[in-house]
Amino acid sequence: MAIIEVDHVTKEFQLGQLRNLRQTLLDLAARLRGHRVAERTPFKALDDVDFRVEQGEVLGIIGQNGAGKSTLLKILAGISTPTRGSISVRARVAPLIEVGAGLVPDLTGRENIFLNASILGMKRVEIAKKFDDIVAFAELEEFIDTPIKRYSSGMQVRLGFSIATSVHAEVLIVDEVLAVGDVAFQRKCFDRMEEMIKRQGRTVLIVSHNIRQVERMCTRVILLEHGRVAFDGAPQPACNLFYEKNDQKIRSQVAMQAQAGPKRSFVRSTDLLLTDITMVNEAGERIERVKFGSTVLIRLLFETKIPLRDPTFGIGAHTPDLLYVANDDSILSETEERVIPPGSFQVEYRIRDFPLLPSVYSLRVGVALKNSDLALYYGENLFHFQVYDDKTSRSRTVNQGFVSFGGTWSFQVPAG
Amino acid sequence: MIKAIRNIVDYHELIAVLTWKNMTVRYKQAYLGIAWAVLKPFSLMLVFTLLRSFVNIPSGNVPYPILAFAALLPWVFFQESAAEGVQSVVGNAALIRKIYFPREVFPITGVMTKLVELGINVLILAGLMAWYRMMPTAQIAWAPLIILYTMLASLTIAFAGAAINVYYRDVGSALPVLLSLLMYVSPVIYPLDLVKEKLLINRAGGDWSELLYVVYTLNPLAGIISSFQNVVLRGLPPDWATLAPGAILVAIALPLSYMIFKRAEAYFADMI
Repeated sequence: MAIIEVDHVTKEFQLGQLRNLRQTLLDLAARLRGHRVAERTPFKALDDVDFRVEQGEVLGIIGQNGAGKSTLLKILAGISTPTRGSISVRARVAPLIEVGAGLVPDLTGRENIFLNASILGMKRVEIAKKFDDIVAFAELEEFIDTPIKRYSSGMQVRLGFSIATSVHAEVLIVDEVLAVGDVAFQRKCFDRMEEMIKRQGRTVLIVSHNIRQVERMCTRVILLEHGRVAFDGAPQPACNLFYEKNDQKIRSQVAMQAQAGPKRSFVRSTDLLLTDITMVNEAGERIERVKFGSTVLIRLLFETKIPLRDPTFGIGAHTPDLLYVANDDSILSETEERVIPPGSFQVEYRIRDFPLLPSVYSLRVGVALKNSDLALYYGENLFHFQVYDDKTSRSRTVNQGFVSFGGTWSFQVPAG
Repeated sequence: MIKAIRNIVDYHELIAVLTWKNMTVRYKQAYLGIAWAVLKPFSLMLVFTLLRSFVNIPSGNVPYPILAFAALLPWVFFQESAAEGVQSVVGNAALIRKIYFPREVFPITGVMTKLVELGINVLILAGLMAWYRMMPTAQIAWAPLIILYTMLASLTIAFAGAAINVYYRDVGSALPVLLSLLMYVSPVIYPLDLVKEKLLINRAGGDWSELLYVVYTLNPLAGIISSFQNVVLRGLPPDWATLAPGAILVAIALPLSYMIFKRAEAYFADMI
């Protein structure tokens, strides 16, 4: 029998202003007099969500912001009630929703352990027994009798995590808690989670934006989209689908930004302006989707009011979260000296065997005068493009980096 | 209601810990600490005693200051625990949004917190009684039951009030005002005997006198205060006749109040 049953759950919220007593009374009076009262449209945070979780399953719940993940967790934890449908959980649940909820700044670490563990449902005897472990895991032996308002935020989160994970429960509900503390502590948290999942066979529900983590830890993943279950199944296809939808979203946002106003740039002077930027394929067509391994031409159109003496052009690509993945600079590849007179001019940059693996990227461009560190122009997020490939599936590339070596394979196999 | 009591038993450790937390947090960085709990009834007693030097208030054979203090003790407990209970849900918004346990833990914890402060005031009362060389009789055994009944009266207000306060914060603002008005229709400044004398003997209300007296005693505090004074100071049994109307009211209103609370509980996290 399933340990958790979510049966056609719908959760609606009223949009708009909070209601005050006056408004409620006025509406009531209007209704009594037979007038119609303006009803506000409900917002569906969850829309007919239906699934079962078996004992020992590790279920990941992913989705973009506002997809209904947290609402679902809150309903599972009993904090919130569904508008329609029902939910049944046949085990003790330990909610790790935002660790450290309920830590009191004025109390010492010791006092907080007793308080917080009681709130999470532990008995006094049980807490006393686990007390030393909790302190040791949080690495707070020296500070345990200090009020936690004197703790660093990292220390507070460590304490919260340590208390929360020492609660014995068959079902764990985890909301983004693995991103706590420094890298060493994250490692410890991760190990403790894995230990609970793999060895103790607990049922776990994880909500995370860290898709890699979800893909690695979960046995099954549900992708939520606008409150609906868009996918329910194996982690790999679920995560791939999520990445695809994410790429689409980024692209559409970017397109809106581009329409809305000027490109984002950090250094601008009235002397030099980047007026247009385009990508063109071998056939000479303007493109926004680049085929992996194809030849691409990037065209930059500038307008200058001053003569540019020995300018250097730089062009680079970065991910939407500004990780610089590729770069080139005209100072490295060409040495010819020239002066560009005032007026508009065009710069072209050709890339053969486009090396970036499928994902979404942006271009950045910089211009400086030779022998000067000062940029005349520099901008990021200037042009957004998606790389696709007919041959490789998204899943093969997503965890494997951004750039292809582009080498060739050969096999020396004994004839047989 | 049976489930409510089972919940209290199941969660008594949590209630104890949360009560202890309330006390610790409130008094931790205060120099006088828990002595502040005494300030309100004690200063009111002094004011009343001063007032009595202008206005004639009979106090029977008990010294007025101690009579007033014995009235203020259950009164302040009732007033503060009801107010604390009403604020308890909104005041714990952070917990309510993140962790589930039966929400009645909050109003009950609010009342329990004030119970601890009442304990401190009982010590002061004992001190005053020693000062006036008054010995309690065996009747004092009733006192804990009277306090328990006072807690039920507070919870009647706290449950419904806390639930409505989540939706309309007006309640939290209105309640202290209403409660301080209630003090004047409770035998706090004056003894209940004065009301009895005016209504039942002098018949100041004419034909309505008896009815008015019943209405007066519908306020549970009338019975609570006069009974508390009886068993602690006068060595008399509780004032059953005065207790009855208020007790019936509480017996009807408390389950209703609790039902309202449980109905609203499911939406606390969304509304708060």
